[in-house]
Amino acid sequence: MIVCLRQILSAKSLLFTLFLSNWLFVFPLLAADNTENQDTDDKHAQSSHRGPNCFIVDNYFADEVWAKVGERTCLKCHNENGDASDSEFILQATTGKEQDQKISLEKNRQLFHQMATALNDEKSRLLLKATGKLDHGGSEVVKIDSSSYRILEQYFNRASGKLPAATADNQQPRTPLFADTEKMSPRRLLRRVTLSLAARLPTEDEYTSIDLADGPKSLDRVLDQVMQEDAFYDRLREGFNDIFLTQGYDGNAEIVLSYDHFNKTRLWYQKHDLSPIPEKDQQKARYKLAGDYRASIRREPLKLIEHIVRNDHPFTELVTADYIMVSPYSARGYGIYEKLKDQFKDANDPHEYIPTKLPALKARNGKTQKSETGFYPHSGMLSMFQYLRRYPTTETNRNRLRSRMYYQHFLGVDIMQLAPRVADAAAVDAKFDNPTMQAPGCVVCHTTLDPIAGLFQDYDKDGYLGPRKEGWYTDMFGSGFEGEDLPDQQQWRSLQWLGQRTANDPRFATAMVEHVYYILFGRKVLLPPEDIDDPMFNSKRRAYLEQRSLISQVAQQFKQNDFNLKVAFKKLIASDLYQIDGLALASQDPSRLTELDDLGLVRLLTPEQLERKIEAVFGKQWGRLIGRESKLHILYGGIDSKSVTERALDPSGAMGAIQRMMSNDVACHNVALDFTRDPSQRLLFPKIEIDVIPAASPEADQKIQQAVVHLHKIILGRDHSIDHPEVIRTHQLFADIVKDAKAAEGIDKRGSYSCDRVNDVRLDDPDYTLRAWRGVVTYLLRQHDFLYE
Amino acid sequence: MKRRKFIQLCGSAGLGLAMPISVPLYADGENAKNESTGYEGPYYVVFNASGGWDTTYLMDPKGINEINRLYQEGDILTQGTLHYAPNAAHIETGMSNEDFFKKYGHELLVLNGLDYSVNNHSPCSRYMATGKLDSLAYPTFAALVAACKGADAPLAFLTFGQYSATGNLVPMARVPYLNSLSKLANADALHGNARSPYHDSFVVDRIEEALNQQNKSRKSQVRLPRVQRSQSMLYAAQINSKALQRVTPYIPKTTPKQRLSQQADIALASFKAGVCVSANLSIGQFDSHNNNDPDQMKLLPEFLAGIDYLMTKAEELKIREKLVVVIQSEMGRTPKYNKGNGKDHWSIGSIMFMGTGIQGNRVVGATDDKLFQIPINPATLKTDSENGIRVRPEHIHTALRELAQIDDHDFSLQFPFVIPEEEHLARLFSGA
Repeated sequence: MIVCLRQILSAKSLLFTLFLSNWLFVFPLLAADNTENQDTDDKHAQSSHRGPNCFIVDNYFADEVWAKVGERTCLKCHNENGDASDSEFILQATTGKEQDQKISLEKNRQLFHQMATALNDEKSRLLLKATGKLDHGGSEVVKIDSSSYRILEQYFNRASGKLPAATADNQQPRTPLFADTEKMSPRRLLRRVTLSLAARLPTEDEYTSIDLADGPKSLDRVLDQVMQEDAFYDRLREGFNDIFLTQGYDGNAEIVLSYDHFNKTRLWYQKHDLSPIPEKDQQKARYKLAGDYRASIRREPLKLIEHIVRNDHPFTELVTADYIMVSPYSARGYGIYEKLKDQFKDANDPHEYIPTKLPALKARNGKTQKSETGFYPHSGMLSMFQYLRRYPTTETNRNRLRSRMYYQHFLGVDIMQLAPRVADAAAVDAKFDNPTMQAPGCVVCHTTLDPIAGLFQDYDKDGYLGPRKEGWYTDMFGSGFEGEDLPDQQQWRSLQWLGQRTANDPRFATAMVEHVYYILFGRKVLLPPEDIDDPMFNSKRRAYLEQRSLISQVAQQFKQNDFNLKVAFKKLIASDLYQIDGLALASQDPSRLTELDDLGLVRLLTPEQLERKIEAVFGKQWGRLIGRESKLHILYGGIDSKSVTERALDPSGAMGAIQRMMSNDVACHNVALDFTRDPSQRLLFPKIEIDVIPAASPEADQKIQQAVVHLHKIILGRDHSIDHPEVIRTHQLFADIVKDAKAAEGIDKRGSYSCDRVNDVRLDDPDYTLRAWRGVVTYLLRQHDFLYE
Repeated sequence: MKRRKFIQLCGSAGLGLAMPISVPLYADGENAKNESTGYEGPYYVVFNASGGWDTTYLMDPKGINEINRLYQEGDILTQGTLHYAPNAAHIETGMSNEDFFKKYGHELLVLNGLDYSVNNHSPCSRYMATGKLDSLAYPTFAALVAACKGADAPLAFLTFGQYSATGNLVPMARVPYLNSLSKLANADALHGNARSPYHDSFVVDRIEEALNQQNKSRKSQVRLPRVQRSQSMLYAAQINSKALQRVTPYIPKTTPKQRLSQQADIALASFKAGVCVSANLSIGQFDSHNNNDPDQMKLLPEFLAGIDYLMTKAEELKIREKLVVVIQSEMGRTPKYNKGNGKDHWSIGSIMFMGTGIQGNRVVGATDDKLFQIPINPATLKTDSENGIRVRPEHIHTALRELAQIDDHDFSLQFPFVIPEEEHLARLFSGA
């Protein structure tokens, strides 16, 4: 039984709509001839107001009455399309443009005022209605001992003059959310973007372009370039796998090809002709062949995403593409290689992919899948065997997991996120023969969930095409989408039918922007605050609405640009939320701290990102955090897409140890090596040699300082000046190490055997400067600036 | 504003660690505990039968109404005051109920008739782990107790799966292979070999000192809450990681084959070394929609064997008396078989406890012949169909917090349960 899905869906949709945009609640001071219904709040506001054409803030109504009760409770029915649309109490969502919000809020306030001050037996109609009296159609929506009631009661008291009305504090305009925040410099932003999306440092040309300061246009141009690079698509695939987890389906990769349809081809590698290879090498070659084939077929869903984005196709193809991506190797598995082989540039490249359509599947008994086109009814990810296998079903689950994942992945609705409780779920189960179709608490949800499940009915538990022999279940709601039944003649292409509706659903664009947000920020978007008793409710709501506003705007731009996903990346990167990097003014106010809590990217680099950053800075990866044999990948917070599916967001002590190990090791492998290069080729020490000793002369110290500045720039991405405290600290570290070495006895005049040996030659280090620089690099690699994004 | 009030506000704000830097959050060198001992217990272990166990084949036997096909009501066994389902004749490997209850019955507290309120894996897992159904922000009990009692331990909260939210209070640590810990134990030496340090010791000291000075200097800087929090956590992670050296002596020379035993070894070595407060152990595949009986007869013995392994090894390591063990699943299974001989999700289940502070050989709560919950009187813990309360995860978690003496901790106050005082199961663990 799934409890109250419809309520969740509708509540989420409504909240999404309600919270679409602005958080600034103000209302216009009405003209004098329109004050008939104005309450003492208004009169107070008028009396203290000295100028026309401005707005008076009523924080009490906006933050308490509206935010905690009106919007969350009354508006669900009391809107022009709601269950109470025939009442006189029709509220408006405070959405849209800022001015519209102000107007809507003021209209709502007037209605609340009228209702609050209208009396029945000296009791406020607002309070009576809310508590189910006066034949309130929605019965009791507010309990007398609840916070919601107290808010309404307080509002009544204020409106009726029993309590002081608006106070000066109540009318204080709010500090803008981004007040006193600081955005990162364009150069740092550039480095963040190229490292994050293209796994490289910016080029000098890009720095120059940014320095010329034509602002967003420069960044846009850089992003256009970055989003053509292969590294971006590696990142894109990695990011979307974090979301869809398609790399993690069970079993050997080729198992997604059913025995019934691909029994003759799916194991092609076992009989592939390897005779050109010497016999002694054939077994190894066959293992490689199998490995490449498996990797290639497992990667197909993510390659679809890459293909769509790389070619600027509408991202709606994620659910509507009438093709799949195949490589020369995976094409053999499907048995279509011979037809396609001329289309590949390199038939021996297991990872060259091209789009193609599968013919309608033919089973071993000779029966061909029903298809009016002659092709398998592809519908992007929805109909890919890999996706279907990753989210299997059972005889009793009846594709409900697939339905749930569909909502989560493509419409951004997590059905299981906030499951409401019922009084006794077990009793409900037992009371009805078929609770999902009979129990009111279940029906409201299953009427939405089960029709989607029905659309997947042609696929069995493993994701193979294989409708139930007995036909689809009749004791659950029939196939369809949000109230629209699937026409019988569309059954053969039910997922295409779903894909088209998904692409047209406004939630799709929002969900995709949220996915991009996740890829860029490493965390999910904020959830709306639920607990109105939380003293930080309004602060959380404000932060939430600010983020929601951005997501909404970007979704709109994404849609306007023909669902080009690159636009979503560019718009989010251009946002304050992505670029805010600091605070100009400290605050000890918990409310303010709450508002600021999610600001700033501040993301611990994943194992993959950290390896790429090391390669970008040092020219080669560390190599121990990733790869099939890596023992540190999961330990460092990575995922296997299967049992470990969420990345660690904060470092444990074990991860701290790995960071120490990495910093020691990377410094060990790179410092001595760099000094042996021609200065023009050096990455780390282009303008200093190991014979420059601290405190030997002002010139020597200056050279060391400049070397430190360079290291800060290349490793930390900081353009520190020579007198910056952090540069001074690093310089001091270098000087202290050299000093300690000088004072110590028995120090070898050569570098260490393990780290300071290049081409089997152990480097001289008479003054310990080589080892001191290695210590400095180790120190810098342990910094927040290096390990976080 | 008083500190406690401030922390409560921060907590209700979901700020977690984003508190003023005057409030110590993680060990930052100055607060690090004596490295020679570390955290000394109690140690908290939560065993999860992931997927939903069949309680009628374990601690809440029925044998009637066609609830069970493998035994009848008359076959039900007892150990002290506990009743359990017989299964020795139906298992091939692992530990039978007979052996388990015989060995641990005197220590076991069984609570039957726990109302999960919903019956889907995701919300149920969250609810059972945190005590809060409708929030994604709450930490699991294991994470909370780790944060309250030893956040500066490098592996304070170990998890091997199942719902593991931390509430931003403490990092979660995943250690898939025990041997990998030995390599981390000496991160300042090449290949973990202490005889091949990367740097001379005075260089390491200088690096640590520079990082320490940097950390101190940041406390006066104006930073975004996220920056402040993450810098604090990063510094603590690196500093605290040195304590991993203490794990090395306790790493077993051989690795057991059983899933839970492998996890138990990692947890026990970490407990013994004082680098861990709590561990979330888990095995899956209990979701027996098809062929319930064969699946449960395979998994329950494996599960019990894992618990037995932990307790036995803990005895050898002389930390058994410091363990608090919670044995749970995120849901139960229906009191009837479906057409595929499986059992589907059921929102009533059971939970077991044993360890320090827990009075064993007791059963609290009950289900009726159709596996519905029978309410209990929270004061007497006796069943009371008329006036009793429906015991839910928040009642259990409130009691667990009290058992762990963290109910008044600042971190716990950030994540409160709204339960009337009269519903507290004050005697749940003590029995008196």
